[in-house]
Amino acid sequence: MAEAEPIRSGRRVLVIDDASLVRLYYRQLLEDDGFVVEEALNGLEALEALLVGPFDLLIVDVNMPRMDGLTFLRTLRRLTSAAAAIPALVTSTEAAAQDREAARAAGANFYLVKPLEPEVLTLHARLMCGVPA
Amino acid sequence: MPLIRPKAAGAPASSPDPRTAPDVAALKAALQHGTPDARRAAARALAGVPEAAGLLAAALAGEEDIRVREAIFTGLAGLGTGECADLLLALLRSPDAGLRGGALDALAAMPARLPARLPALLRDDDPDVRLLACGLARVLASDEATALMCAVLEREAEPNVCAAAVDVLAELGEPQALPVLARCAARPGAPAFLVFATGIAMRRIRAASDRAGEAGA
Amino acid sequence: MNEDEFRRLCDFIYRRTGMVFTEARRYYVERRVTERRSATNTASFAAYFARLRRDLDGEVEQFINAFTVNETYFFREEHQLRCLSGDLLARRIEARPAGRPLRIWSVPCSTGEEPYSIAIWLLENWPMVDAFEIEIVGSDIDTRVIEAARAGHFGRRALMRLSEPLIAKYFEPEGPESWRIIAELRNSIDFTTVNLVDAAGMRAHGVFDVIFCRNVLIYFDDASRRIAAENLYDNLMPGGFLCLGHSESMSRISPLFDVCRYADAIVYQRPREPRHG
Ligand SMILES: C[S@@+](CC[C@H](N)C(=O)[O-])C[C@H]1O[C@@H](n2cnc3c(N)ncnc32)[C@H](O)[C@@H]1O
Repeated sequence: MAEAEPIRSGRRVLVIDDASLVRLYYRQLLEDDGFVVEEALNGLEALEALLVGPFDLLIVDVNMPRMDGLTFLRTLRRLTSAAAAIPALVTSTEAAAQDREAARAAGANFYLVKPLEPEVLTLHARLMCGVPA
Repeated sequence: MPLIRPKAAGAPASSPDPRTAPDVAALKAALQHGTPDARRAAARALAGVPEAAGLLAAALAGEEDIRVREAIFTGLAGLGTGECADLLLALLRSPDAGLRGGALDALAAMPARLPARLPALLRDDDPDVRLLACGLARVLASDEATALMCAVLEREAEPNVCAAAVDVLAELGEPQALPVLARCAARPGAPAFLVFATGIAMRRIRAASDRAGEAGA
Repeated sequence: MNEDEFRRLCDFIYRRTGMVFTEARRYYVERRVTERRSATNTASFAAYFARLRRDLDGEVEQFINAFTVNETYFFREEHQLRCLSGDLLARRIEARPAGRPLRIWSVPCSTGEEPYSIAIWLLENWPMVDAFEIEIVGSDIDTRVIEAARAGHFGRRALMRLSEPLIAKYFEPEGPESWRIIAELRNSIDFTTVNLVDAAGMRAHGVFDVIFCRNVLIYFDDASRRIAAENLYDNLMPGGFLCLGHSESMSRISPLFDVCRYADAIVYQRPREPRHG
């Protein structure tokens, strides 16, 4: 497979996942692809992070402690700040149609089933951030 | 400085509340039909009544307000009985991610109830349940958690469940997990993420144990 | 400490205390670990980590103390006091019934530095201080520290952040290295004992506009932290604010509160309305 041309887009991604190795995996892949990455361990931490930094993309796990990904998305979409419109990519271990539908209803823009192959993650991140793929 | 005044009739704060036995029937009605504040207050009051565990758990399904849910989960975790643990475990099968997450948090706050229940949960037919169960192993002592997670890796086919077990091992795994992790990474067709995760887990386990004997700790 | 050692330590500390350390604070964490290693005579990181994990001789608490400077002093975390006078109180007086005092709670207050600091700060820095009645309560589980808080004797270290004029204004010298806070301030703060996880004892304190709950939840286990959060919620008026210590965050404890960012601090707010998930 041809290597995607590395573009230092500097687009900011917030990775929201309680599994530390998932966060690290996404971080390394996205940083190598020119993104700037921050991490949150659950939905509440993500809401806190959104108060501080602007983000171009949210990558959201579903099952998380304290606030799950779908509750996070519903809360996010109700905010009155600009953060409410940030695109969200849900990455979940659940593959059933009803899980995808629940995520979409909560405010997800796209849904991928884990585990992700590296190029699948970076391709979708680029597309959702408007970076040439 | 007349502006900061002493508390008027300062009630002795540490005086014990004259606790009357709670009226469970009235609280039950409030929990089911009250305003959100009333439901939350009822949940908090019932949190002191061990027999109310079933009532509290049943109220979760129809409850939309996350503060009432939180009070119920905190209450069940605080009661901490085996019955509470079983009620919470049943919620891991809920289609509602909020209920699954709340149940996991509450279970993690009652570590004494888990050793007896985790082995069966880790062999559940539903891979989603097995995956969530892996996370709960974190509250066990690290040798126990290591043994359970290694057993998962040896028998588990579902890569996401393996990944959850590897995440636990990266955090608290002991050296006996190293060969198991190596075998997991070497499986034919192992997804890229699993190879990555096992590699990191092995490095971290070595980092935390290489020289552990040195100081006789 | 290498990357893997750092990450593993961070995972452990997060689970155990709720404190989060990012890569940016690695150097800071490393210094504390080095301190604790020499204090415990531990030869390697791995040996120290083993000690920490087994909580040998209460090492977890020692470790937390190395981060929180388990020593309270006047005007500690001044940015929060600035936030109190600059933003929080303005929000609290917006729509309040006339004649009801503003209530501020310092819990735990330890030997009183925190509630006395709040009083001095407001007298010095809040222009509206004359227009409102303000009630400050300081509480702690430890009856000895409450006795000390009431007595109000302080040494040089507790006063290190205060200017000479402030010391002259609010303290009476008692000896070369000892001061007593003036009677007017001592009499204006109500000191009580309370246990954060005791619902009835907490409830007896009534509701507050602002609660400072700093550097205690990190010592609690998961179950106690959740109960304390529920209690604190009940002790806040709708729209009231909760301030935590600098390495603490409600986001690891409970979804009961909304997080708010002001110029000087991140604080948590009891929402005015119930909220759906
Ligand atoms: C590190 S001091 C914090 C003092 C002050 N808030 C500060 O940040 O400088 C911790 C205090 O918490 C108190 N404490 C511990 N457990 C408590 C509990 N369950 N309820 C109330 N106070 C408690 C201790 O007595 C101690 O005075």
